[in-house]
Parts: sequence; C-alpha cells; structure tokens
Amino acid sequence: MPEYSVVGRRLPRVDALEKVTGAAKYGADVHPPGMLYGKIVRSEYPHAKILHIDTTEAELLPGVRAIITQADVESGRKVFASDKVLYSGEPIAAVAATDSDIADEAAGLIKIEYERLPVVQNVMEAIQPTAPRLHSDETKDGPSRRGIRNRLKQLSLDESEGSSEEIRTLETELETLEEDVYYNISAETHTEIGDVEKGFAESDIVVENTYTIPRVHQTYMEPHVSVASADSSGKVTVWASTQGPFAIRSGIAGTLGIPLGKINVIPTIMGGGFGGRFGVTMTHVPAVLLSQKTGRPVRVQVTRKEEFLDGRPAPGCVIKMKTGATKSGGILACQALAFWDSGAVSGASIGSTIRVRGVYKIPNLKVDAYGVYTNKSGTTAYRAPGAPQAIFAAESQLDEIARRIGMDPVEFRLKNMREEGDMIPGGSQEPVIGYKETLKAVADAAGWWNRDKSHNQGWGVAVGDWTNGCGPGGVYVSIHEDGSARIFHGSMDITGTDTAITQIVAEILTLPYERVTITRGDTDSAPYATGSGGSVVTFTMGNTAKLAAEDTRRRILELAAERLNTEIDNFELRDGKIFVNGADSPKSISLGELAAFSLNTRGGPIVGKGSFAQQSSTPALAAQIAKVEVDAETGRIKVLKLVSSQDVGFAINPMAVEGQIEGGTVQGYAWAIMEEMQYDQNGNVNPGLVDYRVPTSADLPTVESVIVEVPAPNGPFGAKGVGEPPITPTLATMSNAVVDAVGVRVNDLPIKPEKIVAALHNNGN
Amino acid sequence: MRAFDYIPAKTVDEAVALLAEKGDQAKPLSGGTDLIVMVREGRRQLDLMVDVKDIPETNVLSYSQETGLHLGAAVPCYQIYADDEISAAYPGLADAAKIIGGTAIQGRASVGGNLCNASPAADTIPPLIVLEAVCVIAGPNGTRDVPAEQFCTGPGQTVLENGEFLVSFKIPAPKNNSSSYYLRFIPRNEMDIAVVGAGASVVLDTEKTSFVSARIGLAAVAPTPLFAEEASASLAGREVSDEAVNAAAEAARHIARPISDMRGTIEQRVHLVEVLTRRALNGAIHRVKES
Repeated sequence: MPEYSVVGRRLPRVDALEKVTGAAKYGADVHPPGMLYGKIVRSEYPHAKILHIDTTEAELLPGVRAIITQADVESGRKVFASDKVLYSGEPIAAVAATDSDIADEAAGLIKIEYERLPVVQNVMEAIQPTAPRLHSDETKDGPSRRGIRNRLKQLSLDESEGSSEEIRTLETELETLEEDVYYNISAETHTEIGDVEKGFAESDIVVENTYTIPRVHQTYMEPHVSVASADSSGKVTVWASTQGPFAIRSGIAGTLGIPLGKINVIPTIMGGGFGGRFGVTMTHVPAVLLSQKTGRPVRVQVTRKEEFLDGRPAPGCVIKMKTGATKSGGILACQALAFWDSGAVSGASIGSTIRVRGVYKIPNLKVDAYGVYTNKSGTTAYRAPGAPQAIFAAESQLDEIARRIGMDPVEFRLKNMREEGDMIPGGSQEPVIGYKETLKAVADAAGWWNRDKSHNQGWGVAVGDWTNGCGPGGVYVSIHEDGSARIFHGSMDITGTDTAITQIVAEILTLPYERVTITRGDTDSAPYATGSGGSVVTFTMGNTAKLAAEDTRRRILELAAERLNTEIDNFELRDGKIFVNGADSPKSISLGELAAFSLNTRGGPIVGKGSFAQQSSTPALAAQIAKVEVDAETGRIKVLKLVSSQDVGFAINPMAVEGQIEGGTVQGYAWAIMEEMQYDQNGNVNPGLVDYRVPTSADLPTVESVIVEVPAPNGPFGAKGVGEPPITPTLATMSNAVVDAVGVRVNDLPIKPEKIVAALHNNGN
Repeated sequence: MRAFDYIPAKTVDEAVALLAEKGDQAKPLSGGTDLIVMVREGRRQLDLMVDVKDIPETNVLSYSQETGLHLGAAVPCYQIYADDEISAAYPGLADAAKIIGGTAIQGRASVGGNLCNASPAADTIPPLIVLEAVCVIAGPNGTRDVPAEQFCTGPGQTVLENGEFLVSFKIPAPKNNSSSYYLRFIPRNEMDIAVVGAGASVVLDTEKTSFVSARIGLAAVAPTPLFAEEASASLAGREVSDEAVNAAAEAARHIARPISDMRGTIEQRVHLVEVLTRRALNGAIHRVKES
C-alpha cells in the first residue's frame, strides 16, 4: 500500500472544537429578528373523516398571526389533511404566533370535528378482505395467484394442443384458490431466479419461519426544525437542519410552485439524521407557508412526541422465509414473502427484500414483497434501508441450518460466500470483494475458534452487506496567498465527512491537515451536492474533492513552470512546496509565494474545481460476533462481547470509521433487543424516550471494531461507504447469540425479556 | 405551557395556607422532576406551584441509632445514598434512591415527591413500606401521621386532603440482625420505569438462621404499591431456607393484579413478582449475614 501522510491517519475532526464547546449552531439556534413561532395541529385519530375545521376561536387569541389549512396551499399539493386523516398526528392545520406558548394554546383552540373510521395497524390484518381500506378497494394477487396468471398468459399465446386443457385446469385452480389476494397494497416487487421448488426438493434440510421486525424511529438527537423567511419579492430563505439542502430546495419548489432560483436553503449543523432527515419533511413547507402569509420569519420546531407521531421512521415488516440446504452445507434455495408496513403512504423499503440473498451463492431464489397501508405515519430511510430487516430473517435461517446440520456457523457461511467473479443472484458479477476476509477477521478478533461459555451464555455470528450510493457533486478548492487551502462545497457533514474531505485535499496538495479548511455554502452559493445519506459522502464528495484538488495541483504546476521558467514535467509538489527535479541548481518555491505571485501577475487566484457524476461502487461486508448472557428467570440479555468487523475499502480516518462501526452496531443492537414503536387503536402508544427504549450509555456494550481494507476500485484512495453496513447484521447477531445461550429463538423482534421467558416456558424450562 | 404562579413558601403554615386557598389548582413543588414535566406536557394544569423545598422541616435529614431516620420530604435522593451511615442503616432505601431516573435526576428528585406522585411503579415506595416509614402530613388542622403503605390510594391519588402536604418521614431505627433490599426489573440499566419492583426487609434471630419478621413491598403490580402482608407474615419464625423464601415469593405473586401496557404484560409482571421477591429477600438476608 502506498505511503500517505494525511489520509489513513487518526486526525481530530475539523468540527471537534465547535461541537464540544457548544458553539455549533443547530436549527433551533436560528432566530432572525421578528421571528414567529409555528405549531402544527395534528389529527387525534388514526383514521377518520374530517367533518369540520373551526379556527374562529384560535384566530381571536392575542398574539396569533396566521392560521393555515390545506385551503391556503395555492399549488393544490397536499400539505395538510382536509377530508380524511389516515394516522394519529397527521397535520391538519398550522398556527403562527408571537411566542411558542401562544402557538400551542391556539393550536388547542382549533376545533376539528371527526367521524371515526375503523382502524388497521397490523400488516397481516391489513391484507385481509375484512380490513378497513385506506386508499382504495384495489386488490393485488399474491405469489401463487400471480404464478397461475402468468402461466395462463403464456398458455394463451401458445397455440399447441393440450394447452387448452391446462388452461381449464388452471382456471379452476384460480377460482378455488381462496387466499392469496391481498388488500391495502401500496407497492410490490417480485424476483425469481432458478426454480426454488426444485431447490427445496433437492435439499436435505429446509427451515421455514416467520420473522416480525418492528417499526423503529431513527431517534436522531435533534427534532426536526426549520425557519423560513419569505420576502416581498417572493424570495424564500429556509434554514434547515437536513441531510440534503438541495433536496429541500427542490422539494419546496415542487410542492409550492416556487422557482428554484427564488429559494435559498441555508443548512444548519445537523443533530443526526440516519436517513430520517432527507427531503422535505414535517417542518419545511408549513414554515414557508406561514412566513408567506405573515411576511415574517417563522420557525416550526417539533417536539419529541411529534417526532414519534409524524416522523418518518423505518418500516416494520413480516417476512415468511424458507431456506433449503444439503447435509454437507450447500445452500440450494431461498424463498421470501415479505409484507412491509408502509403506513399511510407508499414508500417502505420493499426493494431491500432481495437482500435475503446475502453474500452467498444461491442457485434458486424467489422473493415476493408487498408494501402494505396501515393507519400509521409513512416511513423513510434508516441506515441501510430495509437491509437489517431482510438480513435478520436470512441470517437467522442460516444459523438454524448450521445448527441442524452440525456445522460451525462461520464455516458454513465461508463455504457458501461468493467470491470475485461469482454471480450475484438477480444481479451482476461480484467485483473485488472482501466477504471472507471480513468474516475471518471478526472470528479471529472475537476468539471464535476457541470460544468458551458458561451456563446461559452463548455466541452468535451474522454478516450483512451493503453497497454505498453515489450521486453528483461539485467542489472548489482555493489556495490563499499564505499557501493554505480552502475547500468550498455544499454537502452536509455527517459523522466526519468534512474531515475526510479535508484529509483528501490535504493529501493531494501535500499540505499539513491544519493548513486546509473547509466551508459549506448554502444552495445559493455552493455547487450542487448530493444528499448526505446512503453512505455516499466520502465516496462521492471525496472523489469530487480529489478531482478539485488535482485540478488545483495542475494549476499550481502550470503557474510554477511559468514562474521558474521550466517545463511542467520537471516539477514535483511536496510538503506544500514546488521543487524542480534534476536541475543543476535545485530550485523551489513555496505554495504561498506562488499564490501571492500569481495574484499580482497574469495567473490570478489559484482555484481548482471538481465535478463528479457517477462511478460504480463496491459491496462492503459487516460481520459481527456477540457473546451474551441471559438471565433465564427474567429474560434479560447482557452483552459480554460485541465485535464488529467491516470492509471499508480504505479508512481515510480510522477513528471516524470506528465511530461509524460502533454507531451502526449499537443501533442494530438496540433494534434487536429493545426498540419498537408500539401502536393500538388510537395510534402510537410510546411517543417519548421513556417508553420508546433506546439504549443509554449505561446499556451499551463496548463494541470492538475491526477494520478490514479491500480497496474499492473507484473509491477515493480505495474507500467504500462505511455508514450503513454495520447496522445490517446486528439483529441476527443478537438473536443467534440468544439461541446459543438458552436454546430459544425469538423471531418476533425486539427480543424483549418477556418473550425469552415465555419461549423458555414453552420449551418446558 | 400555560402560565402559572410560583410562590416559594418559607414555613409549613404558609405552604398550608396557600395550598388550602387554591385547592386542586395548586400543587407543592419539591424537586419538580415529575410535576414540571407534567405541567409542561399539559398532563396537568395548575394556577399555582408552592415551592416547599425552602421550608426547614422538609429539608431535615437526621439519623440516630436510637430514634431512627427523620427524612424531609424535599431531600434529594443523592443525599440519602451519599450518606454512608444512612445507606448502611437502610440499604433498601439507598438501593431505590440510587436508581431513580439517572444521576442528574437524583440530584433533584426527592423521596417525598416520589411518594406524592403516587405512581404504582414508584421505586422508593416499596422500601418505605418495608422499612415501616410513617409519613408526616401537615394541613389546616395540624399534622397527622400515615403509614407509607396507606398513603397512595390509586394511580396519582393519595390520602392528602385539601391544604395538606407531605413534610417528612419518620423511619424507625433498624433492629439487630436486620437489613433491607430493593430491586426492580427494567429492560435498560437506567432512565426507565419499573416493570416490577420488589423491596424486602428482614429481621433474623441472633444465630441468623431464622426469621424474626419480614416485610415485602411491591411496585407496578397494582394501582398502588403494595404491602404483601401475608407473604411477609409467612416468614416470621421460620428457618431461613430456600423453601421459606420461595413460599413467600409465591404468596407475593398471588396479590399481584397488574395490567398489560407498553412496559410489560400481565403474565410477565406476575412472573417477575415471584422472581424479584425471592431476589429481594435473599438480598436482604445476604446483607444481614455479611454484617
């Protein structure tokens, strides 16, 4: 591996000081003069017709400046519910007032008359013919019915004899097939490779189970907040805490019909997002509408409770899954039928169901996935959207197979893992990958090969894969006349990406890390940048920044050639200086001298630019091993060891990478054993951080991170996206460890203590 | 949050007068870790908060081996567990004071407030019950004493009448060969509300082989914290053994009448009563034997 001086080092974050001193300005710190306080009025019921909205009394309250409903949305795009509400917490109106207490009081004075409708919260109930319908009466065929219909379609094109008889048989079968028609379906996706029935028939062992994964909230530290200010010319300024300011700009433009050029989004430092702070969400559009109506800046800031009622959490789902293998440990077939709880709007991560295939050679695969409407808020991305759910089902099945055939679960996985050149089921050929290296690394680090355990203790292993996204971005680099450099860009920092970008630019320009600074612009001043999610930032913006730095270096060498009157090829940029190679009398010029010279001559300021669109990225594996101890009387799980390895391609900043590995692993651990948004007929019943349980620092195991580096051909210095992979295996890691400890498998997450106690009881313990 | 008045009372009489005047529109404020949260979330509307933590009687914290513990209702939890002598004399109370909320909360939250909030899941109430704490209540007609197990009458409901407030606790001095223990079950390690809580106090004979007496208190298994009277009585005079402890735990299980909610199910709570009662008793016994 080449020697680097800035990348690959554990350097402190560029924003460390402002974060630890509290100087960092978050969304709620924005307070333009004359600002009003907005409050959203929300539905009390999960499913109801709105009969009447009466704002009279609220309007009379002193201090109230505006009340808006859907009638105030000129574009006609839905911002507020007007005739029907589909979940508790759905926005119906918004108030702006001179202080937040008045806004709260006014919100309470708005009288809404409802006619309650029957409610459905459970996906398996929602697909039944008896379930209340949220959107329409449309039905969808299930996998078997679809299969018959597809065969019928084929046969109708086939003119050979005998087909008409088969058509009759199939038509009769279709009529008698009573189930397999689903209701409240928002979306569907189907994949079939090979012949699963044949695969199962040839298998020595087939395991089949139903897995239930709960809806969980991203639980970012900072609740959603934005401040909008519309001026008399129609220009709208929005301060937003967001993962992607450019998406906020286009979202507001699209929803309210305002030209892009009249919207400036100023991003504030973000208090966590994890996928839940993407695009126009709870606060942006109401803030703009209230500001347009009052002519004053308006802040809309939601409470933690509102986050639970109207946030866009990760979807829960039910996955029925079946895997077949030979006695010698070869996987032959894998089939999954998934129902994703998409809430009241379409959008659950149903496409991720295919991830049940994992990183294994599976000749026969069938995946059918449906998004199902229920009376809950919609869902959105959460760190590797959909992957933890699908991988939980698949990696649980593999663990069960390994146990039943008496094979070591790590060996079983290694035996079936794909290598470079293998076909990904339903995809292309594997590029250079590090699946086996990553699993072996975690097994070695955890002491898997000579593991010991006492009574009620157990070890679990699982792996999860994810491939980082990629998007367009632009970066400028400017050299100051003192030889330092500044980076200008428009992507949001998440967990150290500004630091990684800075390290990359410093490396290319051979400057010390401290001599490079980074500035984030707003959407009026920064070049476009893709949103910070999907593990894209270091890959995309790192590549972009690298291009910009290389462009800058080219310009530096050009100017140096002019200044020193030599050919450009003779130069070398080293330690922030330009040296002439092989000359009789060695000559050099510092970057500062050159930049100052350039300002006073024909050169002008030294500016480089990088513009980047797309490059294919490379899959990354996370592999984890947990050792747990279960209190068999109370069902409480104690984690004794949690080791997490990950192929990161190349760690631009190993410290930041470890932070990502620890964070993702902890979120997966929490999802496995405690997090769950609970619902009853009135809506979410645990909308707060007392009863929506996320682990506190007192609950967290020490995560041991193991960095594996199999470089990505297109990544900057070989880097892969690191943010998402570590959450993907943990649900199964924890469950598999519990099985090893007490012999019961809880397929209905989270693995709450009472479920372990009940399962042990049913096992006769 | 709707505006309300705030008056820091300097004397018991002043507090009683203010509370009596405003009736159910006024509440005494001590650490505020329950009350302020409730008012801010709109779960409770008030015209007046009477701050009682400046009153000398609510801040008393005195212990002697002869007279026992006099604990002011506004004394924050940390003062109890930070006092080695009190922690040693009433370890069950210190167990509870140490686990309420989190470290920051314990700097503010009081045992008196925990009792007056009357949550069925309150952590300090089972220890107060098993330590035979008596609540000293001040009101328009003077003061009266109420045993801790009789103080709560329902979720959020207490025996306090109009104008009354809790001033302090009197907890008898620990007997020879006695100790106490409290534990709760929560899925997390802190910042959580008990799914079930169990406290126990035991008095053993001089050989430490038989029970002289025992008391068992339970939380989060009924509308109020419970004194498990029969289970407690079953231990008196019996030899210290797994059988005796298990039988008492089994008896405690029978008085549990919990609900299912987002924190736990009926089945789980009933099961946990037995497990935790056994552990609380064994914990208290272990402490006596170690001493």
